[in-house]
Amino acid sequence: MVALPTTPADILPFVIAIVTSHAFITIVFFPGFIHLMLITMFLTWYERKILARIQLRIGPLYAGGPGGILQPIADGVKLIFKEVMVPYKADKPLFLGIPLALVFLAALPFAVIPFGQNWVIANLDVGIVFVFAVTSLFPAMILLFAWASNSKYPFLGGLRSLFQQVAYEIPMWIATLSVVMLAGSLNLVDIVNAQAKLWFIIPAFLSCVVFFISIMAELERLPFDLPEAEPELVAGWYTESSGAIFMLLFLGLYMKLYLMSSLVTALFLGGWWGPAFLPQPVWFIIKTIFVATLIIIPRGVYPRIRVDMLIRIGWSRLLIIALVNLFVTIFLLSTGILASWGL
Amino acid sequence: MALDPWLAIIIWGVLIIFLTGPLLTLPIFWSRRRPDPFRDMPFESGQVPQGEARTRLVMQYYPYLLMFVVFDVVGMFLFAWGISFNAIPLSESIYVVLFVVLLGAPLGYALHLALHRENW
Amino acid sequence: MSLVPPDLIFVILAAVTIIGSILALQAKELIYGAVALAISFIGVAGFFVFLDAPYLAMLQIAIYVGAIVVLILFTVMLVRRGSLDEMTDRAEGGEGTVGLWLAGLLAIGIAGVAALAGPNLPTDTQPASLPVSSLGPVLVTQYPVPLIILALLLSSALLGALILAKVDK
Repeated sequence: MVALPTTPADILPFVIAIVTSHAFITIVFFPGFIHLMLITMFLTWYERKILARIQLRIGPLYAGGPGGILQPIADGVKLIFKEVMVPYKADKPLFLGIPLALVFLAALPFAVIPFGQNWVIANLDVGIVFVFAVTSLFPAMILLFAWASNSKYPFLGGLRSLFQQVAYEIPMWIATLSVVMLAGSLNLVDIVNAQAKLWFIIPAFLSCVVFFISIMAELERLPFDLPEAEPELVAGWYTESSGAIFMLLFLGLYMKLYLMSSLVTALFLGGWWGPAFLPQPVWFIIKTIFVATLIIIPRGVYPRIRVDMLIRIGWSRLLIIALVNLFVTIFLLSTGILASWGL
Repeated sequence: MALDPWLAIIIWGVLIIFLTGPLLTLPIFWSRRRPDPFRDMPFESGQVPQGEARTRLVMQYYPYLLMFVVFDVVGMFLFAWGISFNAIPLSESIYVVLFVVLLGAPLGYALHLALHRENW
Repeated sequence: MSLVPPDLIFVILAAVTIIGSILALQAKELIYGAVALAISFIGVAGFFVFLDAPYLAMLQIAIYVGAIVVLILFTVMLVRRGSLDEMTDRAEGGEGTVGLWLAGLLAIGIAGVAALAGPNLPTDTQPASLPVSSLGPVLVTQYPVPLIILALLLSSALLGALILAKVDK
């Protein structure tokens, strides 16, 4: 720890020592705040481009640079200047405060996600459980926001969202349990290090499938889109949001997309391990964007699933598959088959 | 300078709030606000909203919430056990397997209800 | 956490927890009360982190704030508006002063006992810090019977709730 400045002459070296320290660089630049904002904005543009190509159009084109790459900035600036319409008799503190809380909760788990051997903000021993504890707070936020909007569309949509997200959390946890058993630790850095020789997608393939489906339901992406089904509920639980509120929610949703994709990368795709001609964080980001592409593409391709069927599928099929996979992993680990594969 | 991970998390959290907070508070200065009772009415595709907006709660999915609470606890216990699975002999792990199997009974009953009743 | 004195952390956490729970009891609007309760639970989780039990803190957040507060919110939203206003009807209003007097008496009592005990108070204030990986083996090797009892308790609670929800149709 550096010494606190005692005289005014000490302040500049103190500031320089803090600014160049590893902690500061990770928190602010990479994998910290600036990188998070940049990639989240990139993902909004990326999604619109991919969907456009699937739907035989071009997507954002005019907002500066090649292919409209500055479109997210244009969107952000536009939304800041728009009026925030608080619905009649809506609950103002909750209505204004929850989008900020959502962004906070979506960005908080990034502190434990490792982008490289030393590129992690907080090397937490209970890493993956921290991520799950924070993501389990999302349904409560959505329910509160839907209630605070004092309007029927958001309220019904919020209820559906709540049950959908709640239904797919448990299969997600049990699928991760197999990975945790294989790696022997909850620390995400240890989990990625354990994949140095063999990515966990191979021994835990069923877990990966279950996890992937669960996060698509958590992110409310097609084909699990009913809470924001446009022909039915306008925009679901965020119907009444506008202007800066909508921008914060939008930002939070795409941060969640990035978070879940990077979880898949860290848990199943070997994190930062790759041939050494590219630095580790670049591999991590490449794999994460690949996973995000896989999540975005079904939005342009598949039809929607009805919400009660969806919730039923989550509890009956997916949970049973996750539990079966748990027993399979127990069997594989205890009979030493996996140990011979170098785990 | 290796920070204590919790301190790093707290600093990260505070930084997020301070840097995204302006996104919420700046529009107060930069956007216009004219509350208009007709425009601020809840959106119902053009109709006049009727009735209280917060009634009509559906009860049909309530059991799923109860199942979530129970399996939340189960999941957390399983995480505690899972990290040391390789370190303890199988004869000890059998208790946790029994734990999960015992909870399969209400799960089976719940799924039976879910699949055989048309309401949930 | 060597930068900030532990007493300061304790005071902040205690303030968050206690103020959260007082607001939860006092709130006229039950939804605000539930939110205050969630904040109070997060304060408790902070205490667990402070006492070197991070896994327990995550368990607290995931179960209490993540599931039970949702259940409370859902239940609050089930109650129709009319009966809500009847339930929040305030009584004579003397509870606040009675509460403060009782808290004052308790504080005097504790301070007196601590002063009288004097040199016999335990000075070792560092809890033993266990790594997370030690929780699992202890759970199954030393406490298998409570584990099974817990399973039976949870399954009976779940079965009971499901049957009740079925009858209520």
